Amino acid sequence: MSSFNPQELITRALIRLRQSGFQLGVSELLAARQALEGGFGETPEELAQTLKILWCHSPSQQSQFDPIWESLQVDSTSKQPEKTPHKKPKPETHQESMEKPPEISSSPPPQDAVTEVKSEPELSSLPIRAPFTPAKTEDTSALQAYYPMNRRSMSYIWRYLRRPVGDGPLNVLDVDATIEQATRQGFYLAPVYRRQERNNAHLLLLLDQNGSMNPFHRFTRDLVETALYESDLQPEKVDVFYFHNVPATSVYKDLYLTEPIALQTVLAACDDRTSILIVSDAGAARGYRELKRIRATTSFLFQLKRHTSLIAWLNPMPKERWIGSSAEIIANLVQMYQMDNNGLSNAIDIVRGQHLHSPF
Amino acid sequence: MLANQRLEFTGNSNPQLENPHQDSPTHPEPYVISPELKKAVNLAIYLRRPLLLEGDAGCGKTRLASAVAYELGLPLYRWDVRSTTKAQDGLYEYNAILRLHDVQTQNVVQQPPVAPGNAAETDKDEDEERVNRNPANSKHYRKFGALGKAFKLKSCPAVVLIDEIDKADLDFPNDLLTVLDEPWEFKIKETGETIRATYPRKDAKDNVIDCRPIVIITSNKEKGNLPAPFLRRCLYYYVDFPNDKKQLQEIIEKHYKIREKTPPPSALVENAIDRFLSVWNEGGLFKKPGTSEFLDWLKALHTFEPKPYNAAKLKKDESLPYRELLFKLQQDWKKYAKAS
Repeated sequence: MSSFNPQELITRALIRLRQSGFQLGVSELLAARQALEGGFGETPEELAQTLKILWCHSPSQQSQFDPIWESLQVDSTSKQPEKTPHKKPKPETHQESMEKPPEISSSPPPQDAVTEVKSEPELSSLPIRAPFTPAKTEDTSALQAYYPMNRRSMSYIWRYLRRPVGDGPLNVLDVDATIEQATRQGFYLAPVYRRQERNNAHLLLLLDQNGSMNPFHRFTRDLVETALYESDLQPEKVDVFYFHNVPATSVYKDLYLTEPIALQTVLAACDDRTSILIVSDAGAARGYRELKRIRATTSFLFQLKRHTSLIAWLNPMPKERWIGSSAEIIANLVQMYQMDNNGLSNAIDIVRGQHLHSPF
Repeated sequence: MLANQRLEFTGNSNPQLENPHQDSPTHPEPYVISPELKKAVNLAIYLRRPLLLEGDAGCGKTRLASAVAYELGLPLYRWDVRSTTKAQDGLYEYNAILRLHDVQTQNVVQQPPVAPGNAAETDKDEDEERVNRNPANSKHYRKFGALGKAFKLKSCPAVVLIDEIDKADLDFPNDLLTVLDEPWEFKIKETGETIRATYPRKDAKDNVIDCRPIVIITSNKEKGNLPAPFLRRCLYYYVDFPNDKKQLQEIIEKHYKIREKTPPPSALVENAIDRFLSVWNEGGLFKKPGTSEFLDWLKALHTFEPKPYNAAKLKKDESLPYRELLFKLQQDWKKYAKAS
């Protein structure tokens, strides 16, 4: 343990963890150093535990930490050449101490020990089978899978979709107005209340379901749930309808596509202030370029534009994959963004009527 | 010298100080702490970073704060977060309408206004409900919240429990972060005061006192993740269910010892633990019962009927007695209802 250099190890651990996607900064490094000064990392094991408490913020991060920490320590021992001669005598001393008990027990153990020592300096062929490493059962899938955006940022970005109108209950105390009224009257009668502001924005969500959208159902579901329950939007002002590939004369009220409703009925409820957000891969997931699909989508979009110009399209496929597919052409007809934090916030800007550069 | 003065939590529920702070919990907290959690607590005390506890309900996240406060003799301020809670509520509230009301009534009653000179001496007992408020003194109308009280302490730090932080609004953790960091201060805009935690300061005996609050935060992860900058600042510990016979036994022992009640007969305890753990580990439960449910269940087995539940019968029984204490979901409930 003489080579245990905690300062250096902490720094290298931080760099490695940052490479693995841990969000750590300089202040976390300083905190770890401070903890070290406070005696929370006397041995490598203690230090590992301390860093785990400090730097890992979920059980899955904790399980990611262990292999990284082990690899760091292996690196540090192999990097220092003066450490290896120290290591070699060690098995011998073990062997010497082992030699005494075998006199009482049977002979095989010393032989084993001898062959072990011999095999070390010898050059032998590499093992053909890969060493068995048991897989962790913890669920780290959420960290490693394709994760364009998380739920939290969705509900955060939804907040920008607002059209505040003071038509809520009369229950917000206006302190300034109360005091002003009292000074004007010369006496205080009652507090002045204002109406609560409510978000009057109307959102129409049109979601592509099934087929190539299957892998993204998780995100579309999150998108619907956050819009309905975790945003400032009033739930009755969020209309969600589903379609498959292209919205035809009817869309569906449920995500299993069993309750059809005529598109005309849906659009009749829209006025020029309705925000329409379409979520579909537009053929980019499979890379098809189908004239039929493009035509159908175009006529659908023209139909929409008769009602409102606040239309944006979210594509769960990254932008590089649009090229060559129908998505590339549809992106010329409507503001299309890939489904990540920036994309959604741009799309929200469009549907709330800001920075509107319509191609027409 | 600093090391001698360092607060250290040991987990053996004996108060360290002879005269604890008046806001410190008065009853000992039966809490069995694992070495890792103990280390996390001490690290949080040492670095004065908030300790974020996650884990299933009923595994003792909330209890930890009072165990720490009791043992160290520190005041405990609890802040229960609700969906409408704003970060400022934990610092202070200002009652402007009451002040306006007081101005008006004093005009009518013609009370001689209190001389502004003695404002300094009224600073002492700020937390109490005021009877003689003077509208000329804006300080009479502010009321401190859990964190505000902790920031005002001059002689010792306080333990602040922020319970179920994930219930609050999205911005809440971020707003909190600006307070729980250098320079450890906040402003009261109505009075123009700046409240600042006293640290580092030396007392008469030249000991360093650090009055920055020790913050313990619990979260159920009901509404998704907390923001990354907030997590970065926190220490994190996942509180697990003590899935181990010995640990459960220790918890029961400590519980009954501290509450000064006669523990259930050992055969009953043993069979109850066995039965409970087999249910717990069997799987297929939608919501697993926690430690607190187990303790309630044991109490019911022990004292609900005039005679304690027969230990041998508990082992053999097809159906689980008092399952209403353990299962809170219909599916779980039905699963163990076969034989009843």
